[in-house]
Amino acid sequence: MSTKLNIAPIKIEKFTLENGLRVVLNDDNSSPVVSVAVYYDVGSRNERKGRDGFAHLFEHMMFQGSENIPKAGHFQHISRAGGTMNGTTASQRTNYYETLPASQLPLALWLESDRMKSLNISQENLENQRAVVIEEKRQRYDNQPYGQVFDLLTEMVFVNFANSHSTIGSVEDLNAATLDDVSDFFRVYYAPNNAVLTVSGSFEIDLAKELIEKYFASIPRQPMPPEIDVSEPTEVALKHRIWEDKLAPLPAFLIGWKIPPRRTKEFNALYLAGKLLYDGESSRLFQKLVKGEESVLQLFGFTDERRGPSMATIGAIPKPEQDVKQIRQVIFDEIENISNNGVSLEEMYKLQNQLRNDEVRSRQSSLGRARQLAEFTLYDNEPELANTEIENYLSITAEDIRLAVNKYLKTDNRSELDVIPVSKK
Amino acid sequence: MNEDFRKQPPLKLAERPFSISKPFETHLENGLKIIIFEDSKLPLVSYRLAFRFGEIDDNNRQLSIMTSMMKEGTEKFSSKQLADETDKYGASISIGSSSDDTIIAASSLSIYQSEMLDLIAEVLFKPNFPEDELELKKQNSIEGLKFNRSDAGFLADERFSKIVYGEHPYSITSPTVSQLENITREDLIALHTEKFIPNIATFLVVGDVNKDELLAELKAKFGDWKQGSVVSKDFTSVPQRTKKTLTIVDRADSAQSNIVIGNLGIKRTDEDYFSCLVMNQILGSGATSRLFMNIREDKGYTYGAYSSFDKRKLTGTFEATAEVRNEVTGAAMTEFFYELNKIRDENVSEDDINLAKSYLTGVFPLRVETLEGLMGQLVSQELFDLPKDYLETYRENIEAVTIEDVKRVAQKYIDVEKIAIVVVGDKKDILSQIESFAENIETFDVEGNLIS
Repeated sequence: MSTKLNIAPIKIEKFTLENGLRVVLNDDNSSPVVSVAVYYDVGSRNERKGRDGFAHLFEHMMFQGSENIPKAGHFQHISRAGGTMNGTTASQRTNYYETLPASQLPLALWLESDRMKSLNISQENLENQRAVVIEEKRQRYDNQPYGQVFDLLTEMVFVNFANSHSTIGSVEDLNAATLDDVSDFFRVYYAPNNAVLTVSGSFEIDLAKELIEKYFASIPRQPMPPEIDVSEPTEVALKHRIWEDKLAPLPAFLIGWKIPPRRTKEFNALYLAGKLLYDGESSRLFQKLVKGEESVLQLFGFTDERRGPSMATIGAIPKPEQDVKQIRQVIFDEIENISNNGVSLEEMYKLQNQLRNDEVRSRQSSLGRARQLAEFTLYDNEPELANTEIENYLSITAEDIRLAVNKYLKTDNRSELDVIPVSKK
Repeated sequence: MNEDFRKQPPLKLAERPFSISKPFETHLENGLKIIIFEDSKLPLVSYRLAFRFGEIDDNNRQLSIMTSMMKEGTEKFSSKQLADETDKYGASISIGSSSDDTIIAASSLSIYQSEMLDLIAEVLFKPNFPEDELELKKQNSIEGLKFNRSDAGFLADERFSKIVYGEHPYSITSPTVSQLENITREDLIALHTEKFIPNIATFLVVGDVNKDELLAELKAKFGDWKQGSVVSKDFTSVPQRTKKTLTIVDRADSAQSNIVIGNLGIKRTDEDYFSCLVMNQILGSGATSRLFMNIREDKGYTYGAYSSFDKRKLTGTFEATAEVRNEVTGAAMTEFFYELNKIRDENVSEDDINLAKSYLTGVFPLRVETLEGLMGQLVSQELFDLPKDYLETYRENIEAVTIEDVKRVAQKYIDVEKIAIVVVGDKKDILSQIESFAENIETFDVEGNLIS
């Protein structure tokens, strides 16, 4: 195998405040900047029926001011300090983060604690952000060719509502959201004991601890949010669907499989199998379909990582007049080929180098480290996984990949979505 | 517990010093400029071989095909072998062009430095442009062009560029189908020989390297590269606008209208650059700007409204943009013009200008935290021929901008009476809302044909 790389581990200090807030610190003086990330254990998987998209709408409300910070104040404080910030919502979690010059660590902690403690909830802000979110949905999904197909496929793969519905939600459900929904959601999910705070970058550990205590310790703990059930039957919800896309210029197809949760050996093996199948120009399917047969314009795939049942996807946009069925068959044949013949030594060597390269690259920025630490703490209560999880991936063998492909991808238990352009003329 | 401390933003801590040492610079005998920045924080290296020629230097618009073909076969490797060679190290190599420049970019773990330099040399010196790969590339590029036409953003950019740049080559955002169809292998070989010469190139390396060893390796692998002659080109001048125009690209079934309002701006090295940067920060850059606060946070018409000056060697553009729902297309345009007029007519406040300046100066260390961030900075300094002390003087240049400067550049570069408005959307839903914004309206279809 390749030369062993010596990467210094990320320095980690962790503790929990009395109110249950889990804190992870990573002091790293390589650049005079600091990143703060707050991850809440709530995502679209926690939404109730009739409120699709609510977790994301709520994320927008977190930028609308709190007791000591007026509307727009969050943006202005960060900006004035020379910082950048954002928030994102996924099925698994909602996160908020900022990167600032190192001297501005207190500002980030002040801003994050004020909205965790005392969010300002008003009907006016709700109406405004509801409109903004609906525009976001139009811009990122409805007005894009193929913009809705990944959400549609997810609905076909998963049976359980917690897993199957989209994060962006529907206009109908977004319109149904009330101010009471907002305050309930805040109380139930935005409690310190349902969150993780990470700080990475250039700072003094003792001072950071003192500041975190000062800003966060008095925020009251809440009863733990209700447990959710993300269990799934083995079978996918729907095996085939045709979707007419008004904006798509060419037909496309997607295939989805239900696979085991993240951080299982099988999930890791399937993640690596995905890389070998569709990632990059040396991948098997790129060489077969984009080169070789020359039948495909775009090939794509990804492994959706979840704490419960997860999902593998492969899709393509064939060239005009191509036989979509035949292209899909090439994909199934290649899966069959891996399950029969396994993967080569050269492929394993490539995967190991790619894993190491990705690992080193992900450590470059303070924000990258803060996010990684927060995720492992929120999901696994183990920030140290940021240093060690790569070993689990590197220990996956060719045989592990073959077995996982054989069990989870070489199966008729899959969802196939056909996207058909509808003529507008 | 007394929580009064929450009422005011906290004081900042002691500043942690920020400094970037000057990168090492030298030239090889063949004129190839070398810039090396040693940074051993992590075992990574980033490479850029940057050339001072771009798509506007090639009338036949073959450059993007030529660069993408450099990875599709060389004397030593087939297309697949090149992909295998790169991916097996977990590395990446890409070759791309813009209007003004052409860049071979690569990155890898530092243990593979020699392998990466070999690969860069292979694709640079030995591409053989196989006929079958060229046919596939042409076919896919032609399909790709058709594909682009489904994207509202592409259509907006294409139309806006044609309107503001007229006959100037910046007006062209992609080659035509017939240009692509007519490319031959001989064209690519000729273009490759003419353009890839060391005397217009800079090799930048940032990361975990030893300068002396690297320099020796660069000399060995790139020292025999022969100089070529540089042909300087004169470009048609950009047109003077005489009136306000409204152009609709009629895209049926659009869920939103893409609005672009703008005109010509400045070149990257213009003396008004810093004033424009500060003015634009106040007007339309980021979540604190006036456009965002008004059109998104107050009106809820859009997910985001922004403005920008693009950075080019020759005259760039100024643009204000948003994607808004069909019903408020006219209302959003009214708000755009309200803000464009306001920043021209009224002085910005002390607070406005201070916020903009403190962001622009404070954010600088964040931009160079990663190797790729630092590399981006070094590449643009090099290709735009920015002064040697650009990084050191950046802060004072921003601080020197006054309230009067902001108003002056707003009046100079946001010419509302002669501005170009482009809207990509469903014409039947939006025409009545926007027809009053200009005397003459032109409509194009998504294929780029003038309809009315």
